[in-house]
Amino acid sequence: MALVNPDFAEELKAFGVDTALECFNCGTCAAICPLIFEHFPRKMIRYVQVGATEKILQQAQELWRCLHCGLCTQTCPRQANPAELILGLRRYVVARWRRA
Amino acid sequence: MYNPRDIINLISAHVRKSRNPFGIPSSQINTWWREAPGFTRRPGDALLVTGLMYQSIPYIEATTRYLERLEGSRWADYLRFGRLSRYIPSFVVGRGFACLTSKASMQQFNRILVSICRLLTQSSVDFFYHPEMDFYSGILLYDLGDQEGFVEHAKFVARTLKLHGVKKIITVDPHTTYALKELYPKYTGVSFEVQPYFALLRPHQVSRGNGRPPVAIHDPCFYGRYLKVSEGPRQLLSGLGLSYTEVRNCGEFTSCCGGPAESVSPALNREILDRRVAELKASGAPVVTFCPICLANLLKAGLPVEDLASLLDRSW
Repeated sequence: MALVNPDFAEELKAFGVDTALECFNCGTCAAICPLIFEHFPRKMIRYVQVGATEKILQQAQELWRCLHCGLCTQTCPRQANPAELILGLRRYVVARWRRA
Repeated sequence: MYNPRDIINLISAHVRKSRNPFGIPSSQINTWWREAPGFTRRPGDALLVTGLMYQSIPYIEATTRYLERLEGSRWADYLRFGRLSRYIPSFVVGRGFACLTSKASMQQFNRILVSICRLLTQSSVDFFYHPEMDFYSGILLYDLGDQEGFVEHAKFVARTLKLHGVKKIITVDPHTTYALKELYPKYTGVSFEVQPYFALLRPHQVSRGNGRPPVAIHDPCFYGRYLKVSEGPRQLLSGLGLSYTEVRNCGEFTSCCGGPAESVSPALNREILDRRVAELKASGAPVVTFCPICLANLLKAGLPVEDLASLLDRSW
């Protein structure tokens, strides 16, 4: 069981992420991502959409596997900008670490 | 994989201390201009900014060598004490690094910058270079998600350049170009007219390259996708009569060389690199690239690869 924060996508705007809700989870980003790693970055975007903050923090280290190569953003059919979303999540996590 | 928090804290502390990711004096890294008389401190229209990227490669190689050895071992956790290095004077850290870096590697990457200057001069570009105004852009902090650290550093750099009346900037690598062109206006409010060096080159004569075997182009992600300037180098090669071949995944759809993973996971870097090397090898041609990180990575994999500037300089 996990607590969800329905306002999380809104909170992320402060970290430069304003496209999270554009994603319709087609998985193109995960298919083209060179990491070929557990539905990355699709899974993280889904967590943002449902507000699974705890899940993101538990798996925060995975965010730094991203190469920021931009292939996901280049191919996203919804212009959800997954690469910037992951970068925004890094900023969010770093801010949490610094506050802790 | 290393704990990203430890890596971020370490790099952030270094940038605060010495304005570069290594915590050593920038004057120790930035020595290329001493071998390039005639390019420096003269009046000119645009400032050449290397962002210390080419010069940093020998230091990145030295650091990665150790990170690669320790990744996954119990010693990796000790990296969390790395940030204490801020208490060690820069010159002492610099001495340590001097013992770990190869002089040949330094000369190899410095020569590329000399080539770039020679090409700009031959194209009658009105530029100048001032080592004290050549700063690291802070791009690694941005990529790692240390927004606070990046903005603080970027504001310092932008303020200093503005104070010296810099309006036009010529860059030599994709990461610094992206930072100065796209990120600085957004996060510092200061805009410069930024152009990569190859956009300014004007070859005067054609056909020198005739008869040479074609080269395979490896496009860096930031030039290919983020800045969409992949055509520039291709036009230059064609202009000089040098033939090139396109590899699988090029231009806007280029494959990453794995370089960005180097600091947090050298193992992941290797995995991505091996895949890109296979794509490049399939072309059977020697590789040319125009990013210091890509160049160092592909060299590490043992590929016959050279920088665009070196190739152009030889063929001009």
